[in-house]
Order: sequence, then structure tokens, then C-alpha cells
Amino acid sequence: MATGIVFDIKEFAVHDGPGIRTTVFLKGCPLRCLWCHNPEGMDVRPQLMVSENGCTHCGRCRQPCSHPECRPFGRCIRACPQGLIKVAGRRMDAEELAQELTGQVRFFEGGGVTVSGGEPTMQPDFLFGLLDGLAGVHTIVETCGYTEEEIFRKVTEKASMVYLDIKHMDSGIHKKLTGKGNEQIQRNLSFLLSQEKPFLIRMPLIPGLNDGEENLRALAKRLSGAGALERVEFLLYNPFAGAKYVMAGMEYPLRDVDGDNYIPPIPADAFEKAGVKYKIL
Amino acid sequence: MLEASRRGDHHGYRKEGQFPPAETLAGLTDMERVTERLCQVLEAEEPPILPDETIVYTRTVRGLPPVYTDEEWEKIKETHFIHEQGRVCNISPDYGRVIQNGLDKERENAARMLEGADKTQTVFLRCVIRSIDAVLGLAGRYRAAAEKAGNRAAAETLARVPHKGARTFREALQFFRILHFTLWCEGEYHNTVGRFDQYMAPYFKADMEAGRLDEESALELIEEFFLTFNRDSDLYPGIQQGDNGQSMVLGGMGADGKEVYSLLLKLCLEASRELQVIDPKINIRAGSETPIEVYEKGTELTKAGLGFPQYCNDDVVIKGLVGCGYAEEDARDYVVAACWEFIVPKVGMDIPNIGAVNFPRLVNDAVLEDLEGAPDFESFYGKFRERLGRECERINASIHDLYMIPAPFMSLLMDGCVERRRDISLGGRYNNYGFHGVGISTAVDSLAVVQASVYGTGEITKGQAEDVVRGKGEEDLLTFLRYREPKFGDNNAITNELAVRLLNDFGEAVKGLRNGRGGCVRAGTGSAMYYLWYADQVDDTLSGHRKGEAFSANYAPELFVKSKGPLSVIESFTKPDFTRVVNGGPLTMEFHSTVFWDGDGVGKVARLVQQFIRHGGHQLQLNAVNREKLLAAQKEPEKYKNLIVRIWGWSAYFVELDREYQDHVISRQNFSV
Ligand code: SF4
Ligand code: SF4
Repeated sequence: MATGIVFDIKEFAVHDGPGIRTTVFLKGCPLRCLWCHNPEGMDVRPQLMVSENGCTHCGRCRQPCSHPECRPFGRCIRACPQGLIKVAGRRMDAEELAQELTGQVRFFEGGGVTVSGGEPTMQPDFLFGLLDGLAGVHTIVETCGYTEEEIFRKVTEKASMVYLDIKHMDSGIHKKLTGKGNEQIQRNLSFLLSQEKPFLIRMPLIPGLNDGEENLRALAKRLSGAGALERVEFLLYNPFAGAKYVMAGMEYPLRDVDGDNYIPPIPADAFEKAGVKYKIL
Repeated sequence: MLEASRRGDHHGYRKEGQFPPAETLAGLTDMERVTERLCQVLEAEEPPILPDETIVYTRTVRGLPPVYTDEEWEKIKETHFIHEQGRVCNISPDYGRVIQNGLDKERENAARMLEGADKTQTVFLRCVIRSIDAVLGLAGRYRAAAEKAGNRAAAETLARVPHKGARTFREALQFFRILHFTLWCEGEYHNTVGRFDQYMAPYFKADMEAGRLDEESALELIEEFFLTFNRDSDLYPGIQQGDNGQSMVLGGMGADGKEVYSLLLKLCLEASRELQVIDPKINIRAGSETPIEVYEKGTELTKAGLGFPQYCNDDVVIKGLVGCGYAEEDARDYVVAACWEFIVPKVGMDIPNIGAVNFPRLVNDAVLEDLEGAPDFESFYGKFRERLGRECERINASIHDLYMIPAPFMSLLMDGCVERRRDISLGGRYNNYGFHGVGISTAVDSLAVVQASVYGTGEITKGQAEDVVRGKGEEDLLTFLRYREPKFGDNNAITNELAVRLLNDFGEAVKGLRNGRGGCVRAGTGSAMYYLWYADQVDDTLSGHRKGEAFSANYAPELFVKSKGPLSVIESFTKPDFTRVVNGGPLTMEFHSTVFWDGDGVGKVARLVQQFIRHGGHQLQLNAVNREKLLAAQKEPEKYKNLIVRIWGWSAYFVELDREYQDHVISRQNFSV
């Protein structure tokens, strides 16, 4: 029985693929994107999320308690009268989770389940167990592509569709922005380009960091003529990305990026020439 | 013209009414008093005609004079049960018949009935006739004013209606306006609109076929008509401004059992969306076969953020009403009363909001008095069920000698009153009562604690449970209870089953009851304002609900419960058999307006609504949350725990965001809407 750590399950996720969908977020990611909006998805271990806003500083959570589940956190997770303390990261059984999700199948006409993260391929056994359990349900795996080719191939095989996130085409810059070079990701992209399973490319656009014309032209060129590519989706940077860092007790690296009224400089001609459709979300 | 109405230009004509005091009515019967007052009110009106106005009639005189002196009214109250204001309210008249026949014909009919009438009957019929004459009198003055103002079209319309039956859509709308206006003037309130697309269909079709109207001009006409509901609504406040019961029902099964979704329905939804005014309140009747386009149109309207349409499920409601003893054809014709109660138009004098059961209080009472002696959950629940039965009997018995102020003009609009020579205030074909069910989720969650934690694991002792409902629970225990799972709405078997049971038993508890008017009692899932009033009567509960907090309004998860999401809520909340609790009371769900913005959000919400109907839910109300709501949530976060806002690639509970981000969401809203 494969188990894994899930940090959220979101029903009726309207922006994670076609139709009515439920998205499962797997915890743990090999990258550290500066703009990551799910900071609690990075570390695979369970962690506290405290909504300090609303805290009355009553001190109850700081008092020693005897609950075994509180031990790793040095804080009582059951004491807050406001319900402000939560643990992101729950160990779940793939089969049981698949069964629970299959129970929603009546809603899934034209929709299904999306597995996202974090990076779902960080917990391959759990991911595959989940996908196997969801046979018959439309599934999307949203991945950053930073994973071994063998795992990536298997994802492509098992999922109904793959959403691959591309952050930057230049490996040096990629490393600066995410902590890792992009060679592995590009190899997996090559695989996607060579096969027939439908996929979609998603790219966040962060003002001044990865929205340069050269980068976007390079992406268009790279995707040119890809038969199984449905479209590219650009996710516009939004300063809200930082909102959860406070709760996770982390520092948001991009505090100073101004995303208001941001108009993305997408070279439409390059995408047209490459025959690649795109959409801005 | 639309702009003029919106600005409220017509309010410029308002003046205070000068009416003789109620003492001058001494010696008249109650019926004669009502008609005397109606005549005074209509006579005092000075027809204003706004330039280019298509559908005329605007109240110019503020206030309605009382039919009784204060002392007289106090005296009546001593010996009678008075429902709300004591007026006929919350019913749905047969506009269609009168619009078709015209008042001349209706008057002839009433006059004919005078023959052979006894004394009381004669008074009634004379009041009907006098009311008609007063209505025709004011219509004549409107016509003259329209001519004088050079509004030829309005003058021509009034040359036909309300004397004669309408021939065109415009005439029919004007006729409706006159009838509806008169009901308010007579003193009735929560005057519902009923199945507008059904009774207006012949006129609309005739105009479209004859080429007198096309889609565009029809839409414009409907918009003008819709605005008439907002002209005087400031004079008719309910519990809050806007609570005036002007609810319109569109779509659904026709008398022949076939679903009707017409162009007229589509245009009504569009008109409402474009106007963004709160009246009329739109209800859509749907069923498992309803095409997705209807839901999509409805969702476009939801997106506008007005809190409607409200959806009602024909598959459930019709069957439920038949189970309550309504004839199949009447049940098929059901409409929605002021808020959500299912009523039958034309022939029903139901009072669907006459009482309410405080479920959390019943559970708390059972914990205090029955828990100790009950060896297992089944015997505890059995005691609770007996309490519920006794409570329904008690409420029913407390309602006797009901008195309603007569309503002769309303009676003309209700089928069979003139023929029976009897005022509608004395009863119609159906005289059923409805009891709301308040705090259902709180009760279910509390029962789940008794079942799972007191009898099941034993982690809570009976003594601790009693302390909690006495308001003496330990803080840690209360916190534990509040965030403990399961809770109704997260689609777990325990609370789902308890909810099914609770509502079945509510249905059973009222089943044998006969009310003072010979009708039955219907159980429902609405709360009206009782979610506040009744919460005051209850100490802490085992669900973790604290004294002083409101219950959730209508049929919804407890306010402090973080739901798993809309799919789980729908799964849970559609489990009960609503044909047994068919008084009405919607599940309410809120979506942040950003859900609708990009991609096919509208299509997805539409599918969700369709699924709700297919799951056998009875009634659904969706809100698109807007800026005002967010501001309110900032002020009172405890009331908005479940308010979800879409951020970027994710959504968050608004109240949990840092202030800085909250402000940002609000400014974004401001910017984008
Ligand atoms: S228990 Fe809750 S409210 Fe009290 S200090 Fe801890 S987080 Fe704040
Ligand atoms: S790949 Fe996704 S989850 Fe991982 S750090 Fe980057 S944005 Fe966050």
C-alpha cells in the first residue's frame, strides 16, 4: 500500500483543467522558485500553518500539552480557540484517497482529478498508486518536470494529460530562479514533444525575471510544431503569491516585485509562427 | 428612461398622505374598512408620468392608513393569533386570468354573484366591486395624465387596460403593474410575482409572431417592467430593505407535465443581469432534464452578484407537494413565496412561515434531561424524537383563532373567491402551514458528538456533555468540539445519516397534525430570521457552537466549519429526502466573483448546479461574493470563516489572509468589478 504526504485537497478547482475537478496537492518539491505561491509544498515533511491574523495572543498553543501529534511542532495544534493552527501535510493511503475521489465521479462529467503540488513526482509510488486507483477518471498531473525520465514517462503513460511547468529556457538563469538547472526538465519536454499524449505547457510570468522576449521566443521555437501540445498557459504574476509565507513562517523572496497592472510582453508573432496557441490566465 | 428610473426620479413626486384617522371607520365591517382605505389611497394618488415612460404607475403618497385604531387592534390580538402584520401576505395571485379578462368582465362576474348572496357575502362582493371601480378610476386619471404629458403610447395602452383584457405584451405588463400596485395599496405585502413566463407567454408570443416585438425591443420592455418593481420598493420594507417578496418564478414543468424553457425566460434572466437591481428576485425551476444552457444563463446572473437566481428542483418539490395532499396539477404549478417557501399559486392560502422549530435547543434539552438515563444512542435519539414530536404539536396548538385582515381586491385575484363569495383571508383551496427547521447543521453535529464521542469512544463523559450545554463546558473541550470532525457538509457517513434521520423525523413529526384551518403542517429547512432569534435561546452546543453566535441561515453547514469544498457540501446536503420536508429552505453556497472571471468558470458553476439538481437537492442559492461582503468579513471575520477568495493559482479563506493581503483582495475587487 503506497502512502504519501498531501498538503491540500481542493474540490471544484476551476483553474486546474477542464470540467469540474478536484485537485490533490502532494507535498515536497525539488525546486525553490522565488515566486512559489505554495511555500508549504516545498518541504515534504508536515509543517505548521498559522494564520496569525486573528490571533488573540492568548498563549494557549504555547502551553505544554501531552498530545503525541503536537510533539514535532513544539506547539499545541489543538488548543487554539480560533482554530488558527493547522498542519499542512497529512499522510494518506493512495488507494483510499483514490476511492474517496472516485466517489465524486458523478460531478466529473468532462472533468476529473488533477494531481499537483509541490511536485507530485517526488512521491512516485504514491502518485502511481493514486493514478492506478483513478483508472476511468480523467486525470491531469501538473509537474515541474524535474524528475528522472523513467518516472516522467510513466506519468505520461498513466495520466490522461500532463501539465508541464516551464520556468525559463536558459539553464543558468533557471538555476538562479529555482535553484536547479533545466536540463532534466528539457529532456522530459523532449519526450513530451515526441509522443502523442496530450499535454499543456504552463509558464508563470514574473516581471523582470523570466518574461524577457528572448526567453519567450525561445519557448515558442522549442514548442514549434508539437502535435500533442494543446496550448501554452501563461500565469500572470500576482503579488498574492507571498500570502502564505507568513502562515508558514517563511520569508517571501519577491516582496519587492510590483505585479500590479502588469501587462505581459508576449511576442504573439513568435507563437503564431510556431503554430502554438496560448492563453493568459 | 431606464436611467431616470434608476436615479429614482419618481421619488421626487412623493408626498405624505393625509388620511382621516381610523376612528372615522367606526361602524364599518372589517372588509368595508379595507376597501374604504383602498379607495382613499387610490384617490389620493396623483398620477406622475415620466417622459417616455412605457409602463406607468408610481406611488406618490407615502404611507398606508390603518384600518383599525390601536385599541381595536389590541383587542383583536387578545383573542386571536395574528401572523406577522395580520395582513394577507406571501401568496401568489392569478394575474393571468385578470389580465386576460379585463376588469370590466371581472366586475360583471362579481355583480352577477350578488344574486342570491347573503348579507356577509353581499358585503364582500360589494367591496370587490368598489375596489374595481377605484382601480378603474385611478387608471382613468393616469390615462388623462398621459395624454396631457404627450405620452401617447401610455395613453393608448390605458385606453385598453385594465378595462379590457390585454392583447399585447405591453398591455399585459401594464395591466400587471396596475394589479400589483393595487395589492400593495390594499395593504397586502410580500406580493409575489409567480410564474411570469407562463402567464405572459401568450402576449409575448403574439407580439413576436406579429413582428410587433423583436428580441431587442422585448428585452428593453422587460427591463422597463423590471424597474417598476424598484420604484416603490422603498415604501415596502420587510425585515430589511429589499425583503419585499417580489419573487418571480421562471421555467419548470407546465400543466401538461412538460418542461418549458422559453425565449421569454432567457430574456428575463438577461434583463435582470443587465439591470443589476434586486427586484424582481429570480427563481428558476429545474429538473433532471433541464438543459445546461438554462443553468449557464442562470450562472451569468449569479455572477452579477445579486444573490439570485435561486434554483428549485421540480423532481423533488412536485412529488413532495403531492405527498402533502396537493392535487398534481396544482403541485406542478408551484411557485416560491417571498423567500423560498414552496406555495401553490391562485388557490393556495398557505402560511408557510408561521412557526419554527429550534433544533439545537431540542438537542440540548435532550442532553440535559435524557442523556443520563439513556443506555445507548438509540434510546437517546428516541427521546429526542419524542421531544421533536411534542414540540411540533405545541407550536401547532399555539396557533389558533387565526385572524387576518380581509383583502377583497386580492380575493378577486385568487381563483374561486368571488364564486364562493368569500374573502381569501378566510382561506383558500389549501390552507397549510409551514414550520421552518432552524439550526439543522448545529443539531446534526451535536447529535454526532453524542453518538460518536459520548456513546462511541467515550472520550466525552455524559457529565461533560451536560456541562457544555449548560454553558459550563471547559474551554479546551469546547475548542476540541468546535474543530472536531465529522461535521455535516464534509460528506461523512455519520453526519449524513443523522441528517437524513433528523429530517425524516421532522417530516414524521408534522405528518399527523391538522392546523386550525383544517390544513396540514409542512416541515422545511428554512430559517428566516430565526437563525438569529433562536440562537439567543441556546447555550453552547456539543457541536462547538458558542452562545451568542448565530446559527447558519437556512440549510447550510455551521458557520465555523471549514468545509472540504462544494462537492462534499452538495453530497451531504442532498442526502435527505426532501419530499418529506418540502416547505423549502435553500442550501446556500458562496463563490468569490473571481471564480467566474476567466476560462469557463461560468460553465463549471452551471454544471455544479446541474449536479445539485441531479443529486436530488431541493433548493439552491448561490452567491458571488463581492467587495462589500469582503469588507464585512474584515469587520466580523467569525461570520465569514468559509468565505473563499481566489488568489492566484490558489484560493484562500479570506479571513485567514494577512490584513495586507485582505486589503489587496478588496482593492482588486474594487478595481475589477
Ligand atoms: S492559541 Fe490561537 S489565538 Fe491563542 S496564541 Fe495560539 S494561535 Fe493565537
Ligand atoms: S516547482 Fe512549483 S511547487 Fe515547486 S517551488 Fe516551483 S512553484 Fe513551488
